[in-house]
Amino acid sequence: MTAANQHGFHPDAESLSAFSEQALGERERGKVLSHLAVCGRCRHVVSLAREAADAGAAKASAPSRKAIEPIAWWKQWRLVWVPTAIVAAFIVTSISFYIRQVDQREANFKITAQSPAQGLTPAPTPSPAEQAQVEPPASPAPTPPPAHAAKPTHPAANPPSAEPSPTVAAQMPSEPGAGNQREAPPLHHAYEQLTPPESPDGITGSSYTQPAVAAWDDKQKQAGEQHQAQANPPRVRAYTARPAPAAVGGPNQPAPPAASETVSVTAAAPTVTTTDGLAQPTPSLAISSLWKTTPSMKQIHLPSGLAVVSSISAEPFVLALDKAGTLFLSEDRGDTWRRVKKQWRGHAVEVAQQSEVNAGLPYAPPVHSGPDANNSRNTNNAYPPPAVFELSNDKGQAWVSTDGRTWTAK
Amino acid sequence: MTPTESAASTAEREVPNGNLTPNCVLDRAVTAELWSGCDAARWGLTRDEFDQILFDAGTARNFGLTEISGATQVTRKQQQAFFAGMCIGELALARACARGNERAWEHFIATYRQPLTRAAIAITGSETLGRDLADQLYAELYGLNERDGERRCPLLSYRGRGSLMSWLRTTLAQRHVDHYRRTRREEPLTQFNGVDEFDPPAPPPQVETPARELSQLERAIELAVSSREAEERYLLAAYYLDGQTLLEIAHVLGVHEATVSRKLRRVADEIRKQILKNLQRGGMSRRAAQEAMGADPRDLAVNLKKLLQNSQSQAFQEQAAS
Repeated sequence: MTAANQHGFHPDAESLSAFSEQALGERERGKVLSHLAVCGRCRHVVSLAREAADAGAAKASAPSRKAIEPIAWWKQWRLVWVPTAIVAAFIVTSISFYIRQVDQREANFKITAQSPAQGLTPAPTPSPAEQAQVEPPASPAPTPPPAHAAKPTHPAANPPSAEPSPTVAAQMPSEPGAGNQREAPPLHHAYEQLTPPESPDGITGSSYTQPAVAAWDDKQKQAGEQHQAQANPPRVRAYTARPAPAAVGGPNQPAPPAASETVSVTAAAPTVTTTDGLAQPTPSLAISSLWKTTPSMKQIHLPSGLAVVSSISAEPFVLALDKAGTLFLSEDRGDTWRRVKKQWRGHAVEVAQQSEVNAGLPYAPPVHSGPDANNSRNTNNAYPPPAVFELSNDKGQAWVSTDGRTWTAK
Repeated sequence: MTPTESAASTAEREVPNGNLTPNCVLDRAVTAELWSGCDAARWGLTRDEFDQILFDAGTARNFGLTEISGATQVTRKQQQAFFAGMCIGELALARACARGNERAWEHFIATYRQPLTRAAIAITGSETLGRDLADQLYAELYGLNERDGERRCPLLSYRGRGSLMSWLRTTLAQRHVDHYRRTRREEPLTQFNGVDEFDPPAPPPQVETPARELSQLERAIELAVSSREAEERYLLAAYYLDGQTLLEIAHVLGVHEATVSRKLRRVADEIRKQILKNLQRGGMSRRAAQEAMGADPRDLAVNLKKLLQNSQSQAFQEQAAS
């Protein structure tokens, strides 16, 4: 039986389509299935119709995808920009904070590296006029370490030790031609660091390291105005003398025989006096100092738990007076505190440092010389010269001490 | 004359072999609900015409009731259940198009023209042939063919079983298969009958198995295959003869692909057992039967395709006779 003459026996298109769509009843479905089992033509019809349905469904779904209107990129990202902006802001903030910290560290490093080399011999007379004096190597003050003396004084060759103060730089020998070129960079460098309005560190010219610039500005306006009147004139004179270094020394000033001659500059130890527990810098005229203030002006927490009314810092000693008048001494930059036995009368109200060293007072070397004890810079000067601390009570009486432990009436 | 009365009279005239009595009428509420649920009025059909269409569709299938039940009346629920399984809206559209309603044709073209062309292209595998096939069908649907001076629209044969789009696709497939067979002079479709194409004539058998045993084996196979149920035979034919994939068969049967695979394996095992049983019934011992099962298939003169297609379905023979 051929397909042609079978045509009359085939189920109609409706039955086959209903069979494909499972729309037939059980009885009719059985009939159609029985026919499909023996009729290749109807199987082909059903199979072709099924394939066409699948192809039509696939193509019908394709235009629906094309019909989707393109969405602008800013609309596609509208939900993403919020976290992106937050992340970007965080990154910018972190970078700026990091840069600021790096700048502060670099500034602190420059100053701390400059201080030990600038004057290992604190001069007894730190007056502004005498700071400008250039002393010969054979001065009564302790001589600088041989290592420093042997090194060439060229600032580029020995930056830590060869960064003289503007005064020193101004009085360096001026060799014809090359001499000005060699001396100009350190002078200029020192000038930048010591420019008062731009850098608080440069005002003191010491190893003062105060990261809180904003806090420093407030105190600077109050305390700095008093000292600037004394500190700035010689410095300004030194700066103005830079273009003509030889003229600063004057015709009477003997010119050094060579540029490698070592000079020492006397300076007073910088002191930091605070009245509110937060160590604040006191502008000083010192251009070099053996004494260092605390590396980081951290908050002083005394064992008594009371607020600090007055404190004085002279590396590595820190003396602090609490509200009850109890004096505490720290020999490790404020890490540990020890109560000082009361040796004065009345209620102590202030602790300060005298501007002059009293050689007649008893001096005891510090118990802990600090981590810099083995430093080559201090090897020739194992114990720093004594600082004279002064304690005053509410009646105006004063006591002095060189080590902070033994106090004698002034 | 009410539409239902006219439908009843039509039923008396058009369904002489049905079990429904001539006074079978459609429920007014059911037809009213169906009328409001489709766009028959939009296609220019009157309520009487719509009821007549429903009555024709119902009586043609005896409202889904078995003839054995002997029911003479169709209840309202039975009518509702029967019409719920039909696509009444598409049936109304098809009848309106067959009557030449322009609005119906505009809607038909707007809705079915493009999908039908895509289906024709998919069926023929060629855009040119596909468009030709679709245009030819459109010409037939529009009633350009006449018989006995009367327009013959194939849409009249659609009675709402299944979607109109599926009916159109099946009609396209029928046209394509018939056209292919007619032009190829009864050659099987190569894309479907790959078995025939790649099944060269068997060489002269080298008789190793006795002829008697082979004849017994052939009879046993014929009995085993012909005794299978319709669905199992369809699975065998679609998979082994047509070369359809399990997925294609699964789509046709509406089952999962794994189900088709499982059924095929089970049918093969059962046919093997049945062949063994048939051989043993013919006087072979079990061992001899198993040895006979190991015979070279090329020695057998069994044509499964012919075997399957010779067992014609009685239902459609009766349908053709009627």
